[in-house]
Amino acid sequence: MKTLSLRFSTLALCAVFFSTASFGGGFQLNEHGSRAMAQGGAWAARAYDASAIYFNPAGLGFQKQGSVYLGTTLIMPSVTFYGPTNLGQSTKNEMASQTFTPINVYVTYPITEQLHVGIGVNNPYGLGTEWPDNWTGRYITQKVDLKSFYYTPTIAYKVNDQLSVGVGMNYVTGDVTIKRMVSPGDAQVALDLSGTGTGFNAGALYKLSEELSIGASYRTSVKIDAEGTAKFTPTSALFPEGDAAASLELPATAFVGVAYKAMPNLEFEADYQYVGWSSYKELKIDFKKNNSSSTSPKNYENTFILRFGGEYTMDALQIRLGYLFDNNPVLDKYTEPLLPDADRNGFNVGLGYKINENLSVDVSYLFLKFAERSVTGTETQFDGVYQSNANLIGFNIGYNF
Amino acid sequence: MTSIKNILALLTLLTAALFVGCKDEAPTDLPKASLGSVTINKYVSVGNSLAAGYQSSGLYKSAQLYSYPNLIAGQLKLAGATNIGTFEQPYWPDPGNPDPKTGKAARYVIISLADPNNPVIGPKGETVTAAAPENAATLLRPFDNLGLPGAPLAGFMDTVGTYQGGFGAAIIRGASGFPKSQFRSVVALQPQLVSFWLGNNDVLGYATTGGASPSIPAPTPVPTFTYLYTQAIDTLKKSVSGVKIVVATIPNVTTIPFFTTIGPKIGAKLAPLGVSLYYQKKGESGVATGTTKFTNPASDPLICLTGSPYAALIGTATGKFYKDNGYPLAPGIDTTKPFGVHPQNPWPNALTLDSAEIAIAAQAVNNFNNAIKTVATSQGIALVDINAVFNDIKANGKVISGVKYTADYITGGLFSLDGVHPSNRGAGVVANEFIKAINAKYGTNVTAVDVSSLPALNIPLGKYMTGTNVLPNIAPKSWDTFLKLWQN
Repeated sequence: MKTLSLRFSTLALCAVFFSTASFGGGFQLNEHGSRAMAQGGAWAARAYDASAIYFNPAGLGFQKQGSVYLGTTLIMPSVTFYGPTNLGQSTKNEMASQTFTPINVYVTYPITEQLHVGIGVNNPYGLGTEWPDNWTGRYITQKVDLKSFYYTPTIAYKVNDQLSVGVGMNYVTGDVTIKRMVSPGDAQVALDLSGTGTGFNAGALYKLSEELSIGASYRTSVKIDAEGTAKFTPTSALFPEGDAAASLELPATAFVGVAYKAMPNLEFEADYQYVGWSSYKELKIDFKKNNSSSTSPKNYENTFILRFGGEYTMDALQIRLGYLFDNNPVLDKYTEPLLPDADRNGFNVGLGYKINENLSVDVSYLFLKFAERSVTGTETQFDGVYQSNANLIGFNIGYNF
Repeated sequence: MTSIKNILALLTLLTAALFVGCKDEAPTDLPKASLGSVTINKYVSVGNSLAAGYQSSGLYKSAQLYSYPNLIAGQLKLAGATNIGTFEQPYWPDPGNPDPKTGKAARYVIISLADPNNPVIGPKGETVTAAAPENAATLLRPFDNLGLPGAPLAGFMDTVGTYQGGFGAAIIRGASGFPKSQFRSVVALQPQLVSFWLGNNDVLGYATTGGASPSIPAPTPVPTFTYLYTQAIDTLKKSVSGVKIVVATIPNVTTIPFFTTIGPKIGAKLAPLGVSLYYQKKGESGVATGTTKFTNPASDPLICLTGSPYAALIGTATGKFYKDNGYPLAPGIDTTKPFGVHPQNPWPNALTLDSAEIAIAAQAVNNFNNAIKTVATSQGIALVDINAVFNDIKANGKVISGVKYTADYITGGLFSLDGVHPSNRGAGVVANEFIKAINAKYGTNVTAVDVSSLPALNIPLGKYMTGTNVLPNIAPKSWDTFLKLWQN
């Protein structure tokens, strides 16, 4: 128990010190463990490590030991915008380079051989974009930073040697800051909002045979009612300075996967992930002053991600490869530099190394190549061409006890 | 086993190599500026205050730099018309031209914010630095931007100065031996492209004086306008070989904040009291017969922005309007009665366009625009239907790069402080409409102006305005030079 409480405080420290934000389909992040990440995130039908708390809580039921698994992902996105083409412009605008470091921390403990508990802290949703202060799109966005922390206490139960099930509860904190210019008079508004929400997740994992397993998991959407302030510089009675509020629904997501062991030391998995982005209809910010509000329509669509990956084991070393295709949820009309999305192909590689019986490390690399996106007829009258990619590097340390 | 190991190692290497070598090329489908098969070595602007870059009741360099012709010239050069060189405009160094009466700069700024509910706008007594264009002495040819503030359509051919507005002598420089009219200047410059936007003042002078000025009792007669317009374009084409011309329609007066700002604010002020505004209808100078609560936009009168200093006085026993302007009291007027809410001390005719006057102005605009469209079609020249554009902005606003601009005074972002002339960004919108029409007619691909890159209207936000029913206060005398624009 002593060691456990120590671990919990380490976890809390991580949560405080690691800033987080970034880049997934829409503003989803999908890197929640380097072993899974190196395999294209195709992990729901195996979920061998403590990141099962995110991918499929049922995975814990088949694990023999308690464990701590913690890591981070360095996310380095790069976006170039050419435009606005509706005004005949072809100016090259580059997003400021930033590195984001979402964390993932999991602790699991087998109470009995059947019953496992665990808790995870990670950042399934976040984004950050920053453009030069004086750039031509400054009335749409200069800087946005969205962070969410999911705290997920989890229980898994191994029904028999074939079937395990698991459930988790999600306590979520969300923070968003938005900076942009407003007209008339060229003032900058800075919105700073935060709030909390709750949700649930559940999963099942079934071994059809020694070689073949299937897994499925589902996580509900989480509605964050965020409150905070709107600050205008310079201030003016023209503007709704003061208390502000917004509600944001983080979308539901589901995984269905099938894993196959081709040889005792070679396995593959393919997953289908569903993301219920249609919950993100608009970003509506209510200002207490004058009961006014500002609404920008988003109208995201439900979408999916296809994930493929494999792992080859050579004694203490594991080599991993993966590929993913992420179908973007944003219609052309609503594509904007705040979050310039496009369909993505992701290429993953990674290594795992077992230092001893209890200690292992995982590293992974993901190159996300966004399809070049040329949009016209945008809601903001800010048409143009977006070119984006991202380099992601994941590290994890695992300790079994 | 080894072979799998090798394959995996190779794949890893290959993938890594692929990422390192991955560098995006610029997209191929970006807009490319070009003049197509058109050659433009010289571009000349014919027009009035709108072309001159006149803003906030003054002509000053920091606004003239963003005149729509100068913005068009900049885009033409980007498209390859580098021979244009410097697009010469008659620059009045900031703070701009003087008010002849005070000798101080005529332009409006936001003067006093002591009372945020009553921002005082107008000339600030800025010391004028130059009485004539800074480049008049050095430019030994006509200006490329011939925009003459105050000039009606008749100003195009006028060689005497009667219709050249208050700036004709300084811009045309006929007395200094330069060609004596806009037309002759164009002929001397022999441009390949001319933007021709005149005619606004043939109705604006009537409208901005509330239809009550004895010197401008009506808009220019339609036959006169049609004749002058037809003659102007025809002569221009015959006198400048191969010239390409772009003309524009005239916006309806009901779309500009000069006419749309004060009325609704008075309405909002009177609504809680349940009283009506008594105003003088067309032709009235004594006891008023007009009443309105500003609840019926179709028949409500338009109140001129020149009425702004009097709107705050509604309900008080005052004859300030008559005193300010030196008008004798007409029979029946009793300034001991509450101003604006009593038929015997009514809202003055000179500050009002009533429905009959609105109809006269609208009819004139409609007829002028029909004449302009007819000429454009028959001469095969480019046409900008700027009236349609402004009507659309009035109805729906206009989104540009995430900003919704409207036709509202100050907050709308497109008009300068006089409520008639465009701001820098308003000029950008106008320039883009001209460019669109030029491209459509002449097969060029001149790119548009990035409106967000133009300086925004300078509003001292820290101290400006509260609420939505604020009455701007522009001192009565401040309007003198502005209204003189149309007093030929």
